[in-house]
Amino acid sequence: MAVINAGFVEFEITWRGDIYSGAAQSSSAANFGTLGINFSAILQAGSGDFHRSSRDTRGC
Amino acid sequence: MALQQGQLDVDSLRRAIRLEYEEVANHPELGFHFLVGRPLAAVLGYDPTWLERIPEASIESFAGTGNPFSVRQLGPGEHVVDVGSGAGIDSLIAAQMIGPAGRVLGVDMTPAMVAKARSAASTAGVANVEFRDGTAEALPVEDSWADVVISNGVLNLLPDKNAGLVEMARVLKPGGRLQIADILVQRAVPESARQEIDLWTG
Repeated sequence: MAVINAGFVEFEITWRGDIYSGAAQSSSAANFGTLGINFSAILQAGSGDFHRSSRDTRGC
Repeated sequence: MALQQGQLDVDSLRRAIRLEYEEVANHPELGFHFLVGRPLAAVLGYDPTWLERIPEASIESFAGTGNPFSVRQLGPGEHVVDVGSGAGIDSLIAAQMIGPAGRVLGVDMTPAMVAKARSAASTAGVANVEFRDGTAEALPVEDSWADVVISNGVLNLLPDKNAGLVEMARVLKPGGRLQIADILVQRAVPESARQEIDLWTG
């Protein structure tokens, strides 16, 4: 899964629910059983080194 | 949804998404295929006290899919990146949670949303938040800056979700947290449908 492949661990979906009921227009995405979700994950220590070496540092 | 290179014109998709969210920024009263504003915040369990000091202009254009703060509230002094910050509601809530010692960087690719978020921050007198133009796949944030990355209803709009997640990892400190709201598709999306821009935006 993409989240784990990006270097995260402890992936957890903490909520899922219908977010389309009551919308003014119908959603074509609803045809695919689309739900709203919340999820969390932690960046594994050391995994960021790979990502940092693959990009220029951007000014903050 | 995953997208193979060449299946969809990424620039066309980004233009369509910008147009859609420009409408949400400038005309939130129009009515969309998703809820917006206070009714949406109520559905998603936003604590009304979080909204007390948020300008109405920011709330009315809220178009998230979940509640990043329900996972865990943010702590004093934390650095937060809000990916796809829209009209700024989540960034401004985060700014309250982290206090004056913390800092929030909100990033959005729709200029009308960035302008609305900056105006809301100015109206609210919030000094620990900054809004920047940019995309999720190339965040204008330095490496290992953030304790937390939040995002609300944005990951599903990215043609290259892996690139977006790798960027989130790049800007997080080791041990940093993702607190993301997005959508989950329970039924397989046919390959032909994945190329329809209307499906991505609606």
